[in-house]
Amino acid sequence: MSGFSTRMIHGQPAKQDAHGALRPPVYDGVAFEFASSQDIQLTFEGRKPAHSYTRISNPTVEYFEQRLAAASGAVGAVATASGMAAISALVLALGSAGSRVVASRYLFGNTASLLEGTLKPWGLETTWVDMSDLAAVEAALKAGACMLFLESISNPQMQVADLRALSALARSAKVPLVVDSTVTPPVGYRPKELGVDVEVLSTTKYISGGATSVGGAILDMGSFDWKQSPKLAPWAAQAGPLALLVALRREVQRNLGGCLSPHNASLQTLGLETLELRVRASAANALEAARFLAGHAKVLSVDYPGLKSHPSHALAKAQFGGIFGGILSFSLGGRAACYSAMDQLRLIRRATNINDNKTLIIHPASTIFSEFTPAQRGQLGVPEGLLRLSLGIENAPDLVEDLAQALEVL
Amino acid sequence: MKLLINGESQELAAGQTIGNLLVLLNVESPDMVSVQLNGEFVERASFGQAQVKDGDAIDFLYFMGGGSRA
Repeated sequence: MSGFSTRMIHGQPAKQDAHGALRPPVYDGVAFEFASSQDIQLTFEGRKPAHSYTRISNPTVEYFEQRLAAASGAVGAVATASGMAAISALVLALGSAGSRVVASRYLFGNTASLLEGTLKPWGLETTWVDMSDLAAVEAALKAGACMLFLESISNPQMQVADLRALSALARSAKVPLVVDSTVTPPVGYRPKELGVDVEVLSTTKYISGGATSVGGAILDMGSFDWKQSPKLAPWAAQAGPLALLVALRREVQRNLGGCLSPHNASLQTLGLETLELRVRASAANALEAARFLAGHAKVLSVDYPGLKSHPSHALAKAQFGGIFGGILSFSLGGRAACYSAMDQLRLIRRATNINDNKTLIIHPASTIFSEFTPAQRGQLGVPEGLLRLSLGIENAPDLVEDLAQALEVL
Repeated sequence: MKLLINGESQELAAGQTIGNLLVLLNVESPDMVSVQLNGEFVERASFGQAQVKDGDAIDFLYFMGGGSRA
């Protein structure tokens, strides 16, 4: 089974269903019974392979984790309640008071808020760097870091990180390279081959089947020696290459409690089966929309890595297997123009999500980045005149027609 | 030889390595298991060479969750 969709559709659960159900049932319960006191003791000690309590592990969630790890080429995965839960758990697993994250200056607004607002008072420092400035990244890493953290394609800035180059810098500094690959699912993208050590995902987006349910995941590619992580070194002494996954399962994720619900895990496993179809369809729509907008007189600029004019087109083509994602940004000059055009749209929905089956639009400065000052938004690459368009899987001519009629108001 | 495996006494032929035991005992998801030999963790890379002898205590510690399964 070499094709992505074939593998996602025909991958088998670890244990066969008693009734031969082609789709594994949803184990919706909380607790699992044991035949003896010794069995439950052994399970708590990790010496018996059994589920005990759904917050810690669950058969339906486990199946999703296995499918997801296989999709990405990871050693293993820990599913979480959301993408933000995945990032929170990972940062708390790798960092501590006095340690430092080297992060892209173009992170998702809530991720930036987590690091700068929520975790800074607990003593975690963040150094914000432009990931296209490799010398700056190298200098920041030299000062010591618990992780190098970025998104494969930032949004709404649409900056494409050179993952091989960043991996080389991270390896040299003995720091794990952590990439939020939510917008680039592993259909054409091979994170492990590019030197990514850990992936975090909001599975809410593409993987859920197109916004069917909220979820997230942490995937360990097995490439980083966790003995080099000050925080995980004690776990590495116990669990070797599984240190991160075991630390998450047995402590951090267990204690934080942000577990994925079995129902959501089942929906998201189903989402993996159609992932390739949806990723390719939305990327094709994004290219159509980007070309239309780039040729429109009222549009000041368009950012989409699929356009040959994009500064990172060649890099994106090589890294993501010719699939440039379903998100683009375009500029109309100011907030008023953005609002006017948005309010004219009839088919495209005004909503804050990405990689839905429906095409969605948002004005990032007034929403996702609203807690930042205009000056901070400028530094974050989120100007007032920018709109983000997340392309769904509708028919492209309908989307272009909607954009065209909306822009007529300007 | 007699081994204490996850707290239970088992009789096995002599000359086994940790790697052999993972197969012989049909250990679930062997790629996702950590192994202790007499209380000391064994490096995964050494599973094939780590010999066990009569009276040894071996513990297989399970991750419980999403190891890659294609």
